[in-house]
Amino acid sequence: MSEIILSLSKATKLYAGVPAIDGVDFELRRGEIHALVGENGAGKSTLTKVMAGVVALTSGAMMVDGTAVAPKTPLEARQLGIAMVFQENSLVPTMTVAQNLFLGQEKFYNRLRGIYIAAQQFLQSLNFDVTPTATVSGLGAAKKQMVEIARAVLHKAKVIIFDEPTATLTPEEKKYFFDLVRDLKKRGVSIVFISHALEEALLLADRITVLRDGKHVVTDDASRFDRTRIVQAMVGRDLSNTLYGARKDKVRTAGRRVLTVQNLKMAPMVKNNSLSVFAGQITGVFGLVGAGRTETFKIVSGVMKRDFFHGGEILLNDKPVRYRVPAAAVKAGIAYVTEDRKVEGFFETASIARNIYLGLLAKFPSGRAWLSRRESNAAGRAWIDRLKVRATGDDIKVVELSGGNQQKVVIAKSLIQDPELIIFDEPTRGVDVGAIVEIHELINRLADEGKAVVVISSYLPEIMALSDRILVSRQGKVVEEFSALEATEEKIMYAAIH
Amino acid sequence: MIAAISEFANRFLGRGDATITVPSFDGALKPNQLLEKAETLFACDAPEDLAVDDQSLLIADGARLLRLTGSSPTVVRSFERPISALAVLPAGRVAVALGGTEVHVYDNITAKAPASVFSGDMHAVNALASAPDGTLIATDGSTLRGVSDWARDLMELGDSGRVFQLDPKTGTVKQLANGLHYALGTAASGSDVLVSESWRHRLVAIAPSGARKVVLGRLPVYPSRLAAASDGGFWLTAFTARTQLVEFVLREPAFRRRMIAEIDPDYWVVPRLSSGHSFKEPLQGAHIKTMGIMKPWAPPRSYGLVIRLAADGAPRYSLHSRADGVNHGIVAAVEFGGDLIMIAKGPGRILKLPLAHLDEGIGA
Repeated sequence: MSEIILSLSKATKLYAGVPAIDGVDFELRRGEIHALVGENGAGKSTLTKVMAGVVALTSGAMMVDGTAVAPKTPLEARQLGIAMVFQENSLVPTMTVAQNLFLGQEKFYNRLRGIYIAAQQFLQSLNFDVTPTATVSGLGAAKKQMVEIARAVLHKAKVIIFDEPTATLTPEEKKYFFDLVRDLKKRGVSIVFISHALEEALLLADRITVLRDGKHVVTDDASRFDRTRIVQAMVGRDLSNTLYGARKDKVRTAGRRVLTVQNLKMAPMVKNNSLSVFAGQITGVFGLVGAGRTETFKIVSGVMKRDFFHGGEILLNDKPVRYRVPAAAVKAGIAYVTEDRKVEGFFETASIARNIYLGLLAKFPSGRAWLSRRESNAAGRAWIDRLKVRATGDDIKVVELSGGNQQKVVIAKSLIQDPELIIFDEPTRGVDVGAIVEIHELINRLADEGKAVVVISSYLPEIMALSDRILVSRQGKVVEEFSALEATEEKIMYAAIH
Repeated sequence: MIAAISEFANRFLGRGDATITVPSFDGALKPNQLLEKAETLFACDAPEDLAVDDQSLLIADGARLLRLTGSSPTVVRSFERPISALAVLPAGRVAVALGGTEVHVYDNITAKAPASVFSGDMHAVNALASAPDGTLIATDGSTLRGVSDWARDLMELGDSGRVFQLDPKTGTVKQLANGLHYALGTAASGSDVLVSESWRHRLVAIAPSGARKVVLGRLPVYPSRLAAASDGGFWLTAFTARTQLVEFVLREPAFRRRMIAEIDPDYWVVPRLSSGHSFKEPLQGAHIKTMGIMKPWAPPRSYGLVIRLAADGAPRYSLHSRADGVNHGIVAAVEFGGDLIMIAKGPGRILKLPLAHLDEGIGA
């Protein structure tokens, strides 16, 4: 039996004549954990989608167990023993966890109770705390991810591909995930995983492949890589000092208080939460999943509503506000850049320019009932240039962009509104290293211009690199505040957990 | 009619004026325990106010006026009634408010008879400050309750505070403002007068024309006396912190009426200058008292706070004594000899913190 379970040679995939991957050679060994890293747009997702039968190669060859194959559908790939856990989860939201697990494997006659029992036993064997009878739409991101992973394991795949598997997991869940991956390896399963968290690649992988601009750059044993070498290979320049750089030795002085949240309540997520945000400063908000950070700021920006009775108080520039819809908050000068850009951030089939222009329309006074194509194109062009959105044309659909560029479109859509308070929720989740630096520069620039900036992040290095003051949230309320000068990862994590 | 319906709806829903919320201690007001680290210079029976002349620190302690030149205080003079406010004027003159109803101005600290006496309409004079034009600014907390009866004034939602301008040369008294929700502390700021409006948790600037402007609002504390800082700006003291429990009681008139009528004032649900003396006190830190230790972030019955303000009134940093601390009830602070001297009225202490340490440590 060959040591190589899956290989691609000279793999090329063109989208509208533009190569997403270009002559890539890739080999996956039996029972190895292989990390794929690279900037967004480097071709990682395309490469794995080829393996999983989601897209077909334009040219080149794919072999599984020494046999040339060309899976045209995920079902064909699964029959070859290749399963993929997608970054955007592919579960059916209206079905239960158990139904999703066994979707496509149903027998002629199905007893729901039997499926639930089997699912319960299986989930328990993986040590996943997910209720099989729960409807998927009611699950949080982390639990959805668990179901995705469980489904791949259930299908007894020889090769499992994970696309950004840990992006939505808490540290404890990540540990479970790592243990699970190592367990799969012991069973002889080969793993390919894409991750932007380079530490995870270094920690977990046996080998690492770096892609850049659709081309293969290097493959080597993980032990021969360090963070700097990976980053250099990814971007062709040394970013290790600019990305999540050294400790801050100076913080911005707080300006006037722009936002005051007093005893805000939204059961069960936000519990008597109080905080302030000041102009000319970046206020970082750290917390584990379920800390109520996103919910608090979604209430501030009119996306969610506080408790009807005694729900607390929100003051913008010392005036009490209560927004029933986000448009009212936008008009008042609050911009919320969502953490879930694919669902809430943009219209994926609309062009970049149109998406950005829609952000401006959200702020227009009522009565404006038409779209100006010229205005839309001009606004789109200006922001594409300003935020360095990399696309083959202005009229390209947002769905065709890489994650980092999609995020820039979402940010542009908010910034075109010229907000006074900008809330970034996980601004660099699923974003490549190069785009992270650019987005961080932009956030810093906004604070320097005197805007009140909030950055919600679950990633400590990001919080520490960006924030002037750090609020730590736990169980629905802010429990601790640190100046960036005094904060350490240990102090922040201690406050977030204890 | 609409206003009445709106008020009823707000009370029912807990919105608008009926919102029972308290601002958080964050930003420049981020909690620390610096007041607990302060050196205790000495203890007093009833410290009330501080002032600084050219060489020494003056302390009002009950009816006694103390002077601190070295390490121990000496009694300079005694009065028949407790001193409720103290200020040093140019040319070594000293002003003292006695019992809240009279202000005496002495040409020097040892002068036998006062050069001027202001009395009459004053009721609860609790702070004095020297104005640039040689006059004296006085805050009168309430026209209904005496200086020591401030808790009752709070429970009655008192709004009869006034600010006076006293002219020792002519002996005239001019009312600069009235209708304040307990005026407690004042300082001159250019041509304006800064006043702590304690029950409204804010600092207001009163122009010579009488126009008022909120300089610092929505404080999580009850502000008290002010003092000028040597490099511009001010020191604002706060004698205790706001809590949701007290805010709730302040919105329940029937409860307050019964409490005032039936309960010993020592055990009222009101802010205090010190706490922990009796099990009958409304203990607010109970549910976060674990293993016998009160968490520092427990809702406090008493609290200690001094806020360093910039010249424009914006807070720069703050010194705290939290729920688990002792140095509560800070009612006065002045700079003296490179230190910040403060009165912690709760435990009856005169505290000292080196200024250089403060500016380097948290103010930079």
